[in-house]
Amino acid sequence: MTQRITNPRDLKALQEKVKSEIDLRSGPKDLRITVHMGTCGIAAGARDILTALMHELGAAKVENVSLQQTGCAGLCDQEPMLTLTDKAGGSFRYGRLDKNKVGEIVRDHVLRGQPVLEYLIKA
Amino acid sequence: MREIALHILDLIENSVRAQATIIMVAIEALPEQDLLRIVIEDNGTGMKAPPETVLDPFYTTKQGKKTGLGLSLFRAAAEATGGRLTIGKSELGPVGVRVTVEMGLTHIDRNPLGDLGSSLAAVVCTNPQVDFRFRLSGGQQACDLRVWDLAAQQGTDLRDGLALGRLVLEAINTQLQACRVLT
Repeated sequence: MTQRITNPRDLKALQEKVKSEIDLRSGPKDLRITVHMGTCGIAAGARDILTALMHELGAAKVENVSLQQTGCAGLCDQEPMLTLTDKAGGSFRYGRLDKNKVGEIVRDHVLRGQPVLEYLIKA
Repeated sequence: MREIALHILDLIENSVRAQATIIMVAIEALPEQDLLRIVIEDNGTGMKAPPETVLDPFYTTKQGKKTGLGLSLFRAAAEATGGRLTIGKSELGPVGVRVTVEMGLTHIDRNPLGDLGSSLAAVVCTNPQVDFRFRLSGGQQACDLRVWDLAAQQGTDLRDGLALGRLVLEAINTQLQACRVLT
């Protein structure tokens, strides 16, 4: 039976419980890869970039990376793109990607720590 | 967009941005009515404007942007097949949103469903904290799939977005093969 919330203390307790469950499911990782999936990104092929990342990271048995999605970053002509954030807080934004470029980024940047300068979006 | 699955992905992205913790996607083919019905609903923070406003391609709530094309593109795709897109309230939450899209199933201008497995896997993989519930039905086949239940059956860690994504990709593709009218 569903527990009824009858006072603010119960509500606060429920909030804490749910937050701890969410934290448990999305724990910290060394690298964060964010794929930009606004309408522009999706139309340009962001889903295929994310699928390629899933396969490449799975094949390489990488466990220290979390995959995230976000909306349009305002650089629609550079889509599909991703942002890789490392443990030190360094942020690397790659643009105009395809499956092959994703493979290179996983091999060189994720596994060896060497950014693929050729695909970085120039400021 | 060339695939219905990409429109669905775009609308789920809206739900995620509205901080939904439950997102339901139902795709139903009704051959006897020549209808393909897609329902996406959530328990998020709701829409900040009435439906006729959010369907305007020049309306958006995102700062720094002047267009919001997702809903209007999906509506255009539906209307091209003699169908429609409607926005209503979802019972999943107090201000939850339900988007219903109806399309002509065999209409020559209907886009293919496309790679639905990859679209749903993409959102599950990047949002493991969301309770995703999918329903696929077509012809005599129907399948309900709750990602957290599937993960529990398979012993998959709910923190592992990548593993959840792969699980969903396989499960959806298997179900799509069973529902042959969903193409």
